[in-house]
Amino acid sequence: MGVNLSGVIECREVDLGYLSGRKVTIDAYNTIYQFLSIIRQPDGYPLCDSKGRVTSHLSGLLYRTANLIESGIEPSFVFDGAPHELKRTTLDKRKTRRDDAEKEWEKAVREGDLKKAFTKAQQTSRMTDEIRDSSMRLLDLMGLPLIEAPGDGEAQAAYMCAKGDVWASASQDYDSILFGAPRLVRNMTITGRRKVPGRDEYRTVRTEIIESEEALKHIGLTREQLVDACILMGTDFNPGLSGIGPKRGIKLIKDHGSLEKALKHIGQDIPDYEDVRGIFLDGEYSDAYRLNPEDMDRDGVIDMLAGYDFTESRIVSALDKIDSARAANKAKRQQRSLDSWF
Amino acid sequence: MFKAEIRSDTLKSVVNIISTLIDEVKFTVDQNGMELKAVDPAHVAMIEMQIKSGAFESFSADNTEIGVDLDKIKDVLKLAGASDVISIELDEDRGKLIFKVGNITRRMNLVDTSSMGETKVPQLDLSASVTVPVSELQRGIKASESISDHIALTANEAGFSLSCEGDTDSVDLVLDKSVLSELEVKSEVRSIFPLDYFSNLVKAVPSDLSVTISLDTDFPVKINFDMADGNGNVRYLLAPRIEND
Repeated sequence: MGVNLSGVIECREVDLGYLSGRKVTIDAYNTIYQFLSIIRQPDGYPLCDSKGRVTSHLSGLLYRTANLIESGIEPSFVFDGAPHELKRTTLDKRKTRRDDAEKEWEKAVREGDLKKAFTKAQQTSRMTDEIRDSSMRLLDLMGLPLIEAPGDGEAQAAYMCAKGDVWASASQDYDSILFGAPRLVRNMTITGRRKVPGRDEYRTVRTEIIESEEALKHIGLTREQLVDACILMGTDFNPGLSGIGPKRGIKLIKDHGSLEKALKHIGQDIPDYEDVRGIFLDGEYSDAYRLNPEDMDRDGVIDMLAGYDFTESRIVSALDKIDSARAANKAKRQQRSLDSWF
Repeated sequence: MFKAEIRSDTLKSVVNIISTLIDEVKFTVDQNGMELKAVDPAHVAMIEMQIKSGAFESFSADNTEIGVDLDKIKDVLKLAGASDVISIELDEDRGKLIFKVGNITRRMNLVDTSSMGETKVPQLDLSASVTVPVSELQRGIKASESISDHIALTANEAGFSLSCEGDTDSVDLVLDKSVLSELEVKSEVRSIFPLDYFSNLVKAVPSDLSVTISLDTDFPVKINFDMADGNGNVRYLLAPRIEND
């Protein structure tokens, strides 16, 4: 979920091709959740194989990743490690919400209200061990770099981005900015016409780039101060104060300079705020990663996905797309330095 | 010794152009004016700039070197209107550069130039050359920015074009030879360049100027122009993107 800063963060819409030739690291959990939520049948049931195993995520990872590579992007995937203990409350809340949605979904299906069924079903998406393991196995067979973060995946992605090893971190969450990623890409794995959540309308989703430095300048806060503002409004790691949204939170920090002073001014307290700050500003990360793709195990991918009842010809055409795009990217023009002409 | 007065808009153009590449620079000064050679940290682009004393409202100097942080000069420029005259004086004893804008005096530390080496300039013999209004290039860039991160510059007997090809969309700016004040081409030449460098430079050049672009196939591009009523000259070199071996 992460903090919602959509109204206050400046972004730039671009074509996917703008990312061509760039290494982008993808928040794997975030993307898999999106696939699980979006890739569903009309009554809301996820795609499943004959054994009843969910395959929505595998479909998304194969076809959408093939599209990204075809656009010249070099993707890698960062998986979350163990969640921070402060995230437990959020995770528990999500579980309750999922259980409630599940009941409502079943009811809607019984009553034949497909629209409602789909919406409720989307809220039941969950990451099981099976989904995590099969995702990792597929990406690995496709030769794509996988990074297992020691803690939050976005902290690891932000670290690699700040080091300059990847050009941007891709996630729907704005948390990457708080974690210190210089550049965030949103709507990269899903583009085109999408339903607006909770409403019966559609809109065109375009890829967005957020340059953290510019965005912070526009808001008028430092990254540290934005973290403070987000703690006021609530993050995955703390519930925040009631009645404080992005605008109010930012204003309070702008007016008072820091969380401590803002809290003193409004006469409230946030327990554990220093820990939450630490999560964003001194996150855990690992240096043990590689970001260059390896050759894909073609037969391995076909065997695995055929086992999930995927049509072989469709698997092969997606893999062909990846192969030819990789060959084309290799031949692509590279920036020279002037030193070549001395 | 260095003491000069310069119009704020002239100084602004100079600073904007150089700061597309680098923030800390060394000006070499003598009685006739000042000059600078700078290359960006990635060695993708470089600038050679000469500013004759005629570009200043008043100018007197001996041979010296001045190291400055352009970000600080930008701060000074924010204090001045376009036609205001800014006076600059070097205080060698205290190692300070002193700017005066109206009744404000801003003193800044000089940047240590001892670690700044001499910038070498590649000698290039480029076969095509074309003179185009900067305003046209600025329009071409505006059209290209959301399409891709690189552009192709092409010159042939028919004229000059700037093209940008993205994933699904493309843009071409075509300048027919009838609108070009100068076009010298032996045979068609074409090179590909990073859009960000090209765009940062073109946006920094005052839009009423024309620039001469020297081009060849898979060679750096040279962009040459005069500014400050012919009292300033800039040569900008940008390395191309080339097919991998």
